[in-house]
Amino acid sequence: MSDSLVPLVLSLADDELVLGHRHSEWTGYAPHIEEDVAFSSIAQDEIGHATALYQLVGELTGDDPDHLALGREPDDYRNATICERPNGDWAFTLARHWLYDHADSVRLESLEGSSNQELAALVHKIRREERYHLIHAEAWVKRVAHGPVEGRTKLIDAMAAAWAEIGGIFEEIDGEEKAVYQGELPTPTAELHRTFQERTIAALDELGLPTEIHSRADEQAEFVASSSGDLIAGRESPNGEQTDPLSGRGGRRGKHSGDFDQLWETMTGQYRAHPGARW
Amino acid sequence: MEVYEVFRRAGHKEPFEHCGAVIAPDSDMALLMAKECFLRRREGNHIWVARRSDIHSFEDESLLEIAADKSYRFAEAYRGVVDKREKARRRAQEIASS
Repeated sequence: MSDSLVPLVLSLADDELVLGHRHSEWTGYAPHIEEDVAFSSIAQDEIGHATALYQLVGELTGDDPDHLALGREPDDYRNATICERPNGDWAFTLARHWLYDHADSVRLESLEGSSNQELAALVHKIRREERYHLIHAEAWVKRVAHGPVEGRTKLIDAMAAAWAEIGGIFEEIDGEEKAVYQGELPTPTAELHRTFQERTIAALDELGLPTEIHSRADEQAEFVASSSGDLIAGRESPNGEQTDPLSGRGGRRGKHSGDFDQLWETMTGQYRAHPGARW
Repeated sequence: MEVYEVFRRAGHKEPFEHCGAVIAPDSDMALLMAKECFLRRREGNHIWVARRSDIHSFEDESLLEIAADKSYRFAEAYRGVVDKREKARRRAQEIASS
């Protein structure tokens, strides 16, 4: 057992749970009935991956997986802030889905070679479903990008907003140096981030979507990083630290946006109201 | 000449089911061939033909495998829900009447 493995697996699990929760909010509201089923199914897949990852954490720490998923305080969650943002419109949902699944695919490719056999085996299993998620995201983004101007315009704006925060997926993880040294995380997050950027910028280029704004996104302040169109204030934490709206960093240290509080209330409400209840 | 896949329906409430293929120059001729080959003994009351090249599938069929636990999609996962609901209802009545 290793103390650097826990924060690593927890960050993966929290990303999947929180984004899975956001995806599930489309159930009953997606653009059409077939997509409603498809997207809800993807949401369930993500939550299923989170479940398996929490079980792995539980084996390392002795914690109850349900408690890990639903019983922690907001500041204990390690998901990247991009995952907690409200769905906004379908364009933002698609842009985030596409960017997230590309990011997820880059890190899972590496983690399949983890020195921790259990993690490597689980990632192998998860990748089989994530491959399909990426096909789904690509199919949609391609059609909207090549479709009528209204959808295309919305997608361009949504992609810029999501891009501004997606880097948070590759924020350094607690104990990362040790995790890399021990081979639990075969590739450092900064290197994964570079691979992700190379891959997505080439893909956006191919889709005819602007890429120059993306490569400058870190310095440009005019991009709003919220699907609601509001500038992200970044929640003040007790020690005065803020989430960084332009890089999406903070999540891996438990610094979340105000959007997370709302999500946490809904997601964990039932669990907190009925402690120990069994389905 | 092209290959046409043939689907037939056994009754009005039955689904169309694939029953074979014919080779024909066009869809009209394919229908005639299909009728002769696949409906000659009252096997059904309706027939469709579709060009094989118009039928699409996944290139990589491993995408169709279910990779993880999907027990929640099956009714067995919800066995006992009726009993639990009944129990909860009784408990709510007890609380209300006490």
